[in-house]
Amino acid sequence: MIAHRNLGLVAAGATLLASAPLSAIFASWTWLVQAVIAVAAVAAAAALARLGRTPLWVQILAMVGGLMLALTWLFPSGAELLAVLPTPATFGHFAELLGSSVEDMRSHGVKVPDTDPLLFITVLGIGGVAVLVDVLCVGLRRPALAGLPMLAIYSVPVAVYVDSVPPVPFVIGAAGFLWLLVTDNVDRVRRFGRRFTGDGRDVDVWEASPLSAAGRRLAVVGLAVAVLVPLAVPGMTVGLMSTLNSGVGSGGGPGFGGSPGRVDLFAALSGQLNQSQVTNLVTVTTTEKDPFYLRFGVADDLRTDGFRVRGPNGRRVNDELPDPSRRSLPGVERTRQRATVQVSRDLNMPLLPVYAEPVDFADLNNNWFYDPTLQVVFSNRENSRGREYSFDYVRSSYTPQALRRAQPLPADLPLRRQQTATPDVPEVRALVGELIRGARTEYDKVRAIYDYFSEDNGFSYRLSTEQGTSGQAILDFLENKVGYCQQYAAALAWMVRDAGIPARVAFGFTNGSRRSDNTLTLTNRNLHAWTEVYFDQIGWVPFDATPAYGVPGSTRSAWAPDVDAPEETTPQGGTSDTPDETDPSTEAEQGPNRFEEGADPGALSGSDTPAAQRPRWPWLVAAGVMALLLLLAVPALRRLALRRRRARPAPAVRSVDAPDVAPSGAGQPVTMVVTDPDRARADAHAAWDELIDTLVDYRVRVDRTETPRATAERLAREPLVAHTDAASAARLLGRAEERARYARDPLTGEPLPAALRKVRGALAEQAGRRTRLMASALPPSVLYRWRTAIADTSSRLVNSGGQLRRRLLRFSPRRLIATRPR
Amino acid sequence: MTQQTWDDVGGLLPYDEFHAASDAIVTNIEQVIEGKTATVRLALAVLLAEGHLLIEDVPGVGKTKLAKALARSIDCSVRRIQFTPDLLPSDVTGVSVYNQETHDFEFRPGAVFANLVVGDEINRASPKTQSALLECMEERQVTVDGVTYQLQTPFMVIATQNPIEMEGTYPLPEAQRDRFTARIAMGYPDPTAELAMLDGHGAVDPLSGLRPVSDADTVRRLIGHVRQVHVADAVKQYAVDLVTATRESPDLRLGASPRCTLQLLRTARAVAALDGRDYVLPDDLQVLAVPVLAHRIIPTADAQLARRTTDAIVADLVHRLPLPHDRKRSPYDTRPQSGNGRAPFEPRRP
Repeated sequence: MIAHRNLGLVAAGATLLASAPLSAIFASWTWLVQAVIAVAAVAAAAALARLGRTPLWVQILAMVGGLMLALTWLFPSGAELLAVLPTPATFGHFAELLGSSVEDMRSHGVKVPDTDPLLFITVLGIGGVAVLVDVLCVGLRRPALAGLPMLAIYSVPVAVYVDSVPPVPFVIGAAGFLWLLVTDNVDRVRRFGRRFTGDGRDVDVWEASPLSAAGRRLAVVGLAVAVLVPLAVPGMTVGLMSTLNSGVGSGGGPGFGGSPGRVDLFAALSGQLNQSQVTNLVTVTTTEKDPFYLRFGVADDLRTDGFRVRGPNGRRVNDELPDPSRRSLPGVERTRQRATVQVSRDLNMPLLPVYAEPVDFADLNNNWFYDPTLQVVFSNRENSRGREYSFDYVRSSYTPQALRRAQPLPADLPLRRQQTATPDVPEVRALVGELIRGARTEYDKVRAIYDYFSEDNGFSYRLSTEQGTSGQAILDFLENKVGYCQQYAAALAWMVRDAGIPARVAFGFTNGSRRSDNTLTLTNRNLHAWTEVYFDQIGWVPFDATPAYGVPGSTRSAWAPDVDAPEETTPQGGTSDTPDETDPSTEAEQGPNRFEEGADPGALSGSDTPAAQRPRWPWLVAAGVMALLLLLAVPALRRLALRRRRARPAPAVRSVDAPDVAPSGAGQPVTMVVTDPDRARADAHAAWDELIDTLVDYRVRVDRTETPRATAERLAREPLVAHTDAASAARLLGRAEERARYARDPLTGEPLPAALRKVRGALAEQAGRRTRLMASALPPSVLYRWRTAIADTSSRLVNSGGQLRRRLLRFSPRRLIATRPR
Repeated sequence: MTQQTWDDVGGLLPYDEFHAASDAIVTNIEQVIEGKTATVRLALAVLLAEGHLLIEDVPGVGKTKLAKALARSIDCSVRRIQFTPDLLPSDVTGVSVYNQETHDFEFRPGAVFANLVVGDEINRASPKTQSALLECMEERQVTVDGVTYQLQTPFMVIATQNPIEMEGTYPLPEAQRDRFTARIAMGYPDPTAELAMLDGHGAVDPLSGLRPVSDADTVRRLIGHVRQVHVADAVKQYAVDLVTATRESPDLRLGASPRCTLQLLRTARAVAALDGRDYVLPDDLQVLAVPVLAHRIIPTADAQLARRTTDAIVADLVHRLPLPHDRKRSPYDTRPQSGNGRAPFEPRRP
């Protein structure tokens, strides 16, 4: 019974641990306090019910009752009895909370604030899971199944934001589940009675149970399979196969999938711009003659690692939207326009491309929301694929004078506080200080920074730069002055923020190069990023600092003219549809650039694919084959090196001192043994080793219990019976080795290498073709040696590991428990 | 009686001299025992290794003849003891008798006071009598009535016995068996040799015509030569491995003793010298393993039930024991697993 109560507590604790991932979607921790109360109520009810040894269904009822009491106390309607006993009015209130929670879920992006409906549904969910886990663990003794409801909690944040759920909460939840499993299994094993080791003694308290060895092994195998299999399966996102195939360019359409809050638009942008394929993404028809860029996303959250996209927050598109034309200002011209957008099936994201400041939407359902601050249209459950809609929008154009009139924002304005925060990068700050020195108005400051990104200052466009907008990346960009829209937009926004003016990065499409009448066809190559700067009373004003020649369909305005264009052709909201329109003097420089970028419209529609885009896989395959061949050749090379080393006579260990042994008696002939015994010994050993390796190579039996003499006799008797020469050569080798090993003096002056060659030749002659091939290509002797070496090493490792473990076990705190009376 | 101390035997002899002397003995014996060169050489090797020889075989294959031929080939004192069930220890060692003239006890040396002692049918005497040999075989001395008498050099006991399954025999005690350096079996002669034997031995006893071709002095010099034969460390290691293997073998209840290791190496030296080498090979140890080891060890009950003889067990061990080697040099063993499915025996080395 104690074990059961214990298990119930563990179940409650594990449920709370499993709810940790919810911390990712709530802005504060109120939910946790309330969840703890609810789970405690459930656990207490269960414990009480079990005290009375009631049947399972009574326990369930008790737990549900406990949950109800907790919910009533936490979310009162005001009509409760004694604050905890629900009345019909309470349930009415609950229903109300449930209904509005659905509403809240739609309208709030992560992280969500503490609203009563959301808290209610959270606590209700966690409490429900607590009931389920308790029933499964304690009532049915199936704790493994309890993982399912626990996983259900985890699926909530996963569903809300796809790509970057923090891992730590998941680990906490998993630890809770493991705790549950371990507790249950310990309880189960204890019921077996005494644990035994198998060698006639009990398991000490501090020892791991022998039962766990199999579990450990299974766990290791399972882990290895779980890690390795997804790597090998091509369908998985980061599969090895897909990495290898990346040179070919994936055929799938572009997508910015997931929820609107957490898409890395920068990464998606560079990915799309770098694709060799050109895909139509959006077709837009507008009443405006020279529209500015179609936009769909904003990154305004500047952290140390760069600009990040924040979760949007807003109202339904079909509700009334703010109309900027009501605020009229001198020098600001606002016209109402209408546009129809048709999104192709290749563009899949939870955001919709619209022109800035839409005021009225048609053909969109209530699942789409508009964030008036970010000016983006988003949805938490729908996506843009294949959608067609039209909307009215207000186009504003500003005269520089009007912008100059804008006053600095008060320093304590939340917008200013939030949108001017930058990580501290002193170099950038210094540069900004230098640029805006002498600029009096906000607009002049912005222009000073904007104008800095000119060709005169050495800036150029290239798509092949590293992506990223972190402080370091911005510094690199300002240093190298080479980049594409991402760097230009982020750098401008960063520097404008450093000047104390709110700025952000907007994402969208340029006007592209395919235009007929008022219809623009926009492709993935037209994806673009630019900067928006906030001016007091006026709002967000776009500035595009990217060199116009690098961006087909780039548009400039009166307040942000093309800094690279000659003065006289400064266009008034002019469009440079193709790079050809730019000054011919810069044409020569642009040529190679265009080619590198692959952004040339001609190159896109034409057939001549740039060389850099040619698929890399044949090279990869060739390199792989080469590497494989090299790898296969390694044993043969090793064998060759061994043979050469052995054929070389051993270096003389001790040189014979000739004068000492000079003959003393003139008439006495002295035979001087020049060969050093150590050297002769080494030579004999080398020859014998080579013979043994040769035997292994030619698949002649090698026997470690045989003496050299016996081996030589066997060779002469069996494989070399037909080769008398080779047989006597083998005997010579055997005798030399035997003398070298066992006698006082080794055999000297014998032609061992020649004998070796003879034996080798004879063996090769009588071996089969296959054996000969293997002997030269993959010599078994080398493989055998390696195998032995690996086996030795691994067994040594296992041994030392075992010793280490035994030594560490001495420090196991559980050893102390061993002295406890049992 | 000249007492030759055990250590004044000489050094290495010239190859020819040793060869001539040893070959003369072998050839001489072979006049009597035909077609058994290996056995004869082994018997001589035991003599040169300062050991004792046990010849065990069924009756009538020439055990006693070999013993006598060896004894006669060497001009030295030879005594023969016929071990009968009623033989007493004092018959072997000697006894003190009261001499009436001197009024004193006088020691009458027993049969062991000779260079070569031929003990025929040794296992027909009771263990009590057999144990009279224990001291003299190992320590080459006899202690009677508190007085110790040294035996001569060379001293060798050549005993013959029937296999213990035969009627009317007492098995030799382990201590006694351990004192015999080698046990050899004669085996039946091959048909040709048997035919020649019928021709030659039909009329006269060839033993009677046998003349000594060597003397105790020569044998001593030969023994001195054998002692100088070189034994490499690897060979010593192999000997130790071999003996250790018998102690660790699951088939054996009693393994070989350290004395056995000593005698194994000594006999190997003699065999090497007889082979014309001045160094011992592992091959020598392999050849000697069965004769030197097999009679000392006791198989387990299981092995006995499986009818595994000690000879077979030792031969199997030799077949499975790898030579001591430098593992870096040759890690190979590409033998197919032996028929009984046993892995090669790996000695435990630190």
